[in-house]
Amino acid sequence: MSMILIWLLITVACYGAVIGTAALMTFAERKVSAAMQYRYGPNRVGPFGLLQPLADGVKFIFKEEVIPAGANPWIFKLAPILTALPAMLAIAVIPFTGVIGTFEGTEVLGSIANPEIGILYVLAVTGVGVYGAILGGWASNSKYSLLGGLRASAQMVSYELSLILAVLAVVATTGSLNLHEIVAGQSGWFGWNVFSQPLAFVLFLVCSYAETNRHPFDFAECEPELVGGFHTEYSSMKFAMFFIGEYTAMVVMACLTTTLFFGGYLVPFWADAPWWMGLIAFGAKTSFFLLLFIWVRWTLPRFRYDQLMHLGWKVLFPLALINIFVTGLVISFGPGAN
Amino acid sequence: MSVGAILCSLVVVSARNPVVSVLSLLGSFVCLAVIYLLAGFQFMAAAQLLVYAGAIMVLFLFVIMLLNLGNSAEESGPLDRALLRARRMPVVLAIGAAVFLLTLFGIETQQTVMAADPELVERGVSSLSGLAELMFSTYLLPFEAASVLLLAATIAVIVLAKRGRTQLVADTRTEVTP
Repeated sequence: MSMILIWLLITVACYGAVIGTAALMTFAERKVSAAMQYRYGPNRVGPFGLLQPLADGVKFIFKEEVIPAGANPWIFKLAPILTALPAMLAIAVIPFTGVIGTFEGTEVLGSIANPEIGILYVLAVTGVGVYGAILGGWASNSKYSLLGGLRASAQMVSYELSLILAVLAVVATTGSLNLHEIVAGQSGWFGWNVFSQPLAFVLFLVCSYAETNRHPFDFAECEPELVGGFHTEYSSMKFAMFFIGEYTAMVVMACLTTTLFFGGYLVPFWADAPWWMGLIAFGAKTSFFLLLFIWVRWTLPRFRYDQLMHLGWKVLFPLALINIFVTGLVISFGPGAN
Repeated sequence: MSVGAILCSLVVVSARNPVVSVLSLLGSFVCLAVIYLLAGFQFMAAAQLLVYAGAIMVLFLFVIMLLNLGNSAEESGPLDRALLRARRMPVVLAIGAAVFLLTLFGIETQQTVMAADPELVERGVSSLSGLAELMFSTYLLPFEAASVLLLAATIAVIVLAKRGRTQLVADTRTEVTP
């Protein structure tokens, strides 16, 4: 009975943390962009404007909901759910910290579930996320939305390949798909995968920006060309669902970057750190990548669409293949080979 | 879950809107993945989601949207539609029966394979390393054959696409020169 209670606690804590971070990210996005443009940003609601996400949420709920004429109502309603759901599902396997303790003979880990195929599960459920954009764009019965949806799907499918190949290199060096084992494999001096797989890290970072539809790859939205892209016609809470999905996906991607390349919850130079130190280390590393998301958005201009496809298929994809090949060679014939 | 899969597949053939068909096919794939998961094949479930739901169905959806098929049945009257359906019915039933028989046959063979090689179950097809070991030792030849087949298909598609394009270019040239 109490084991169930512990699981419930961990689940609530993990989901609360990630969704809370996603809500705070909307605030951080505006605050950081304001700082970069020498403005104040939101500063009216609560101390330093910290309660702005809550105010936004309340406002979204009370807005009128419009379903455009000629739209397919069922698919129109389904699309925001399909955007938010995959990111939420992916949270379940992210290792926030190591072993918390032993309870009734079972080790309690710092993640909701710990399947053997952890990273594959994340890739599988986030791969479904593209349906939200493409269906939302199609069901809206508007040309801007349709263009946004088509661009989003083409882009996500193209970059997903390189993303998976980059992850595969990490999996090959670790020899496991389990996220906890991937983290455990990165202990020691310069043990982080970013040192042994720098190319895979760069590929993963670039592709994760494209996968989450962030600048400089935000062609699904692309305000100057497509008004709002695939969610042009959405209003009220459905629009908010798209945003929650997008920001949760960002948090998940930052968590994954930390887990795969930066030692996850491992504390540098402290091998047997307690679990709460691991949690803090994980939070700090993830926060940095979240900040990087915002930083890049307000610094770089957007690509042109053909440049995006060129980069995806003719630069990143071959690089990822070469990376896999070299990794395989080193594993088979390198110094550590048996 | 199997009920869900069957319902979804029924919608695939009966829906008038092609996008709805694609979506229900997606639903049926997801149901299949859950069935794999319940049977203990974690890797199969993830691969099913990743490959079919994540990549192939997106391409289907993409093509259908770009072709803009529309509702073909809406253009004809209700009587025509009913006739069309009645005419299609035997074909659909025949295909369904064939698939059903094939599945039965497949289950039968699988059971015999499992029964013939208890080691197979023991070593665990469910675990990833067990699967990889089997794939690259006992079943290496079928695996390589399948990959060569896929490669041939890829090359064929490229050749076909190229030929189409060069013909198009040639056509426009002949149009321009006289």
